[in-house]
Amino acid sequence: MMTISISNLRKQYRQVAAIDGLSLEIPGGSVFGLLGPNGAGKTTTFKCMLGLARPTSGMVLYDGRPLVPATYEKIAYVPERSVLYDWMTVAEHVEMNRRAYANFDVKRAHDLLAQFNIDLRRRARALSKGMRTAVMVAIAFARNAELLVLDEPTAGLDPVNQRVVLSLIINEAAKGNTVVFSSHQIGQVERAAEQIAVIDRGRLVLEGTIDDLKTDRKIVEGIFPDVSYTLDGIANDPSVARVDRTERIVRLLVTSHADDIAARLTRAGAMGVREVDLNLEDIFLYAVAPATATADIVAKESSS
Amino acid sequence: MNYVEWLRVRNLLRNVAIVLGILVILAVVLRVSVSRYMSPDAWISHFENHPGVQISQSTLPDGTKRTVIDNRAEQTHVVIDDHGYHGKHIVITEPTKNAKEDKHVNVGSMHVYDSHNGTTETTVIDTNGAVPMIYYMALADVVALIVATILAAPFAREIDGHLEIALMKPVSRERYAVGTIVADVAGILATSVLTIVAFYICQLLFESPRLDFSGINAQAIAMGVACPLAWYAMLCGATTWLNRAYGAVLGFAWPVTILIAVLTRIDPGNVVALFIHDVAWVLSRLIPLSYVWFAAPDQTGISDYSAPNFGPRFAVVTLFFVVYAAIAIWQWRRVEA
Repeated sequence: MMTISISNLRKQYRQVAAIDGLSLEIPGGSVFGLLGPNGAGKTTTFKCMLGLARPTSGMVLYDGRPLVPATYEKIAYVPERSVLYDWMTVAEHVEMNRRAYANFDVKRAHDLLAQFNIDLRRRARALSKGMRTAVMVAIAFARNAELLVLDEPTAGLDPVNQRVVLSLIINEAAKGNTVVFSSHQIGQVERAAEQIAVIDRGRLVLEGTIDDLKTDRKIVEGIFPDVSYTLDGIANDPSVARVDRTERIVRLLVTSHADDIAARLTRAGAMGVREVDLNLEDIFLYAVAPATATADIVAKESSS
Repeated sequence: MNYVEWLRVRNLLRNVAIVLGILVILAVVLRVSVSRYMSPDAWISHFENHPGVQISQSTLPDGTKRTVIDNRAEQTHVVIDDHGYHGKHIVITEPTKNAKEDKHVNVGSMHVYDSHNGTTETTVIDTNGAVPMIYYMALADVVALIVATILAAPFAREIDGHLEIALMKPVSRERYAVGTIVADVAGILATSVLTIVAFYICQLLFESPRLDFSGINAQAIAMGVACPLAWYAMLCGATTWLNRAYGAVLGFAWPVTILIAVLTRIDPGNVVALFIHDVAWVLSRLIPLSYVWFAAPDQTGISDYSAPNFGPRFAVVTLFFVVYAAIAIWQWRRVEA
């Protein structure tokens, strides 16, 4: 089980900080989801983690040790775009990995490629985007690596193969290996990951286990008789993470004690008060786009 | 070892082998086509229509077929000794047409010696002399330099979209880079060998070549090996920091090199010409090809093969290979995805 410690990681490209003081602890044997909007720094985080890009500052430790070439024997990476050699066949890619990595399992690679319906004799240039992703995924999972880093591993795959990849991820964790993956399909992350981190503009904005995040976070919505209401200090409560007012309606994102906050809203004069549970997508939206998140969440709750 | 680079080299060698194979097939076709012109019978048929020509043929004790053609009308006497695959020894005696100096010309395996004695001119042609390896190396180097140019951006090719594979091998970047260069070097050397073998086969179709490895030929072999490698390393060093633009570097490498070579030869008759000449000369010192020469015309205008300052020039070319390859490896160490 490989544990990863990222401390105060920073990567600056000229004047732009792609990652800004990121610190994470990824426990061994877990499935860890890294979420963030486009350009948030997920891929740069992976590159810095894997030694593909040199951090401006900070450090990444694997089981307490810095990355050395031998560590790559234990790490498999699926980048978000195809890095296959167009002129090489799928079989040659398998052979390349067999020669490079001691633990590479050729039979498993062939089995997985067969599962994805990929002909070993085809050249990479003849494969569709989804098939290329499938080849990279199959090869990565045949590596018998202790750590799998998967950047959008289901991009371009059909729903059937997406489900296959999710199963592979969950199975890897069951074997005690660590999986770190990113995806814009939050439902997949919710299904597979135990812990998540949300980054936005290079900064960590949310981190925790999915269960804890979902249990703790709720929207408390109150409707007042007129617009001239006061919250009597509710907004300053430490458990209130955000307040959105829209005329007579107030929506509070609370991180704990939702019942207490709802009671306080009632005492403040709210005619109707209700609590709305959040799913991971809601939590993600709150983390990266809070201005639009509340209304969307409550509207969705109302329509259901 | 770098499997991807081996595949690149293998594919390129396959193409080289196909081209050389076509060349050998063409040589076979040519051999079959000209076979009747190469025999003494062709000489006989050429002369037998001349009036007053007497032709006699005999076989000497050692198996040599001797043909004597005597043309009394033109006072020409030709003796052809055909040793089969060991070549022909031809002596032509005829009246001197113009007063000339004695001449000795070597072209490949053919040696021609032309001498004058009073009103008689004697030309001796030997068709199966030793073939200097310098000819073979010159041909091999042309092909090897082309292959070296094609292979010469292995790191830029990885930077162009494959770094996640290349940099995550469980070996140090230096070892990976050395493995890559070793693969390419082996490919370039194999190209030279393939070319020499192909041209040897071509020559073998016409005669039994005896190769000359002595003296200047040994130096030609050494320089012929080092030069394409240094050229490869130079382009390697020039492209490692590039992404997609490496193709432009490879494409312009030859035109720029030729341009620099031309500019070094301009007559520095004025300040501008002198400046251009000097700049071109300095640049040319950085190009390994500038240190390769063996032939210079002598007083009679015939190429004189010699290799002055060979040791220092060979050392510089070898040093270029080491230094340029080190630059490429150093740049590869700094590459980021």
